[in-house]
Amino acid sequence: MMKDEYLGVFIDESREAIQRMNEILLDVEKNPENMEAINELFRLLHTLKGMAGTMEFNTMMTLCHRMENVLDEIRNGRMRLTEDIIDKLFKGADILDQMLDRIIDEGTDELIGVDVDGLIGHFESILNKSSMNNKKEKEEEEREKEREKEEKKEESEVIPIEITDELIHVAKEAKERGYRVFYIKVFLKEGAQLKSARIYLVLHKIEDMGGEILRTNPSIEEIEEEKFEWDVDLLIVAKQNSEKLSKALSSVSDIEKVIIREIDPEEIKKQQERKEESDKVEKAVKKSIPQESTSTVSSDYDKQRRKLSQTVRVDIEKLDTLMNLMGELVIARSRIVETLKKYSIKEIDESLAQLSRITLDLQNIVMKIRMVPIAYVFNRFPRMVRDLAKQMNKEVNFIIEGEDTELDRTFVEEIGDPILHLLRNAIDHGIESKEERIAKGKPPVGTIILSARHEGNNVVIEVSDDGRGLDRERIAKRAIERGLIDEARAATLPDEEIFQLIFLPGFSTRDQVTQVSGRGVGMDVVKNVVENLKGSVSIESQKDKGTKVTIRLPLTLAIIQALLVKVNSLVYAIPIASIDSTLKITKDDIQVVQDQEVVVIRREVIPIIKLWETLQIPHDVESESMNVVIVRVGNKKYGVVVDTLIGQDDIVIKSLGKLFRDVKEFSGGAVLGDGSIALILDVTNLTE
Amino acid sequence: MGKKVLIVDDAAFMRMLLKDIVTKAGYEVVGEAANGKEAVEKYKELKPDVVTMDITMPEMNGIEAVKEIKKVDPNAKIIMVSAMGQQAMVIEAIQAGAKDFIVKPFQPARVIEAIKKVAEEG
Repeated sequence: MMKDEYLGVFIDESREAIQRMNEILLDVEKNPENMEAINELFRLLHTLKGMAGTMEFNTMMTLCHRMENVLDEIRNGRMRLTEDIIDKLFKGADILDQMLDRIIDEGTDELIGVDVDGLIGHFESILNKSSMNNKKEKEEEEREKEREKEEKKEESEVIPIEITDELIHVAKEAKERGYRVFYIKVFLKEGAQLKSARIYLVLHKIEDMGGEILRTNPSIEEIEEEKFEWDVDLLIVAKQNSEKLSKALSSVSDIEKVIIREIDPEEIKKQQERKEESDKVEKAVKKSIPQESTSTVSSDYDKQRRKLSQTVRVDIEKLDTLMNLMGELVIARSRIVETLKKYSIKEIDESLAQLSRITLDLQNIVMKIRMVPIAYVFNRFPRMVRDLAKQMNKEVNFIIEGEDTELDRTFVEEIGDPILHLLRNAIDHGIESKEERIAKGKPPVGTIILSARHEGNNVVIEVSDDGRGLDRERIAKRAIERGLIDEARAATLPDEEIFQLIFLPGFSTRDQVTQVSGRGVGMDVVKNVVENLKGSVSIESQKDKGTKVTIRLPLTLAIIQALLVKVNSLVYAIPIASIDSTLKITKDDIQVVQDQEVVVIRREVIPIIKLWETLQIPHDVESESMNVVIVRVGNKKYGVVVDTLIGQDDIVIKSLGKLFRDVKEFSGGAVLGDGSIALILDVTNLTE
Repeated sequence: MGKKVLIVDDAAFMRMLLKDIVTKAGYEVVGEAANGKEAVEKYKELKPDVVTMDITMPEMNGIEAVKEIKKVDPNAKIIMVSAMGQQAMVIEAIQAGAKDFIVKPFQPARVIEAIKKVAEEG
């Protein structure tokens, strides 16, 4: 009943806890003496255990419990934190994560094909080893105590507490000061947990009321060690009458029943001396205990349900709808502005300005709602890098920067895999082995930096390493083998362009295919994913200095800023994010280099693309001066020649639909302020 | 009459669960705190009739919080929320003045029983 209602929160909070565990484990691995971290780890597992138990995921609870036990031993200094234990804790964290996956999919924490019991068993054996030494002593103590107990049993029976002369003396003195002597038998509810604490609560209560505990059976030490079933006998002195005592003690929860009898110690002693009778009396006492249990509060808790959380969880679909509506609003606003421009009415201008401001604010808020810190993606990497590096016997110092950088939720789900590919490559191909690094005079431990930052309307993600760098010769050789390029061209191409070759499908320079980096599917997949997200990827590398891969993503997918341009009477939109600059040229500025029309701008040779030629639009008038939009694709620049530049506008990207999905030149369409439609140019594909 | 309850636990999940249980039983949850420090502040501010107090929490643990709250109000009624295996801590909390304890994972009935008993004690 409770389960479904809380499952969402349970999963979210557990995930966070597991994520944090991974982070701490990584830290602890470096500084095993960090007790603060161990404590936090302990606390996390403890919380997790509690939650899992409440949700009735018992395997999960057991695993947490064992891990917690081990950590408890460590933080109490009874065990050393070894590498093996850290590994196993990592494994535990993994399994917990898998359990969550399974809970989401199947509603159960039972994993198939994963040896959870094995791991639990391992933790248990770690624990056993640790307690082995203490155990022997304890066992001996136990035996001794049992012997004592048996001896006691023979001596006293009526009240299962031995009344010594000393006790009688104390009782007498107490009586003179107005105290009464009581024999109390406390029965705990069967199944009660933390029994000693429960009994302790009873004792504390008596002392709180001004009473004093004379004797207990079993002894206080035994109670502390939980060496009793469900009942405990007490001999106390107190000033209250038995009724008051009974009432007070019954207010302790988890108590089944309390029997209180005022007694005269001397009488009892006499009774105890009559050993033969005593057996019967004790039985009688036992019989007199009524069997019915105290009533429990009726449980109609699940009658009504109430939403209690202070944050609101929203289905991402609703956010998408909100974003769409937002888009419609932007379009509607543009249309109104467009229409009213003709009349230029002052009052309306003011309202329009206000409307524009509000729409802009609204748009920003909607965008922000959809933004999440990139930490969501980055968080899982430290762990993966650690595992991969270990697997490949490399030492890597992994640094994350700018994990607070926010980006659209849509990207978060997509961008993880590409980054992982890049990290894998960096570890596998980039970072050299320790020996190699030392031989090169580099620090023996390699460094990989994963960073994110905002840059204008872009999010820039970089993966850089200080490894061996890309090998130009090898890439060229492979490209020639694959027929991607001919030998003559390979010799003339600058490094940059050779490096770009690795983004082509089916490229792998490593002669030996490793388990980790696979067969060169990595880089072209990276490129595809990034470009599908309207982003770009570029690579820089220097031999023996390292490699840096840069991914640029737009801030959001739905509404972008674009430059509207015109060819004939057709309007096209070019995303501002990919525009470098615009300029006017004359016919004479165009030169031809290797069958390619280019312009030279600030000593840079930039190939130009006449939009009407590429899109095959009839275009008669070739005017003297032309407008060129310089766009950036990766590290390269291209000039897109158009007739007129209209201006900058917010546009809402609408997909072209399935029918046109093979159209590579356009990434979508947009409705403009005057109700007409502009196609959005896909600069990357256009320039290929 | 609805007694006022303050719920202290570092896990939002647990707080939600407890709040639900407690509210359904007719008590009023006047506040929640995610650690001991917050608990002490909220106690001063809200003067609840009963507090449910988790033991392991960041910043200030439940036992310290009990001690602090007891300094402010010696009659404070605090119920510890503990997990299995925290016997020693529970005992420490009782010494510090906690009135009762419940053990995770708990049954709603147990929680209510404890609150009821502690609240009615006068």
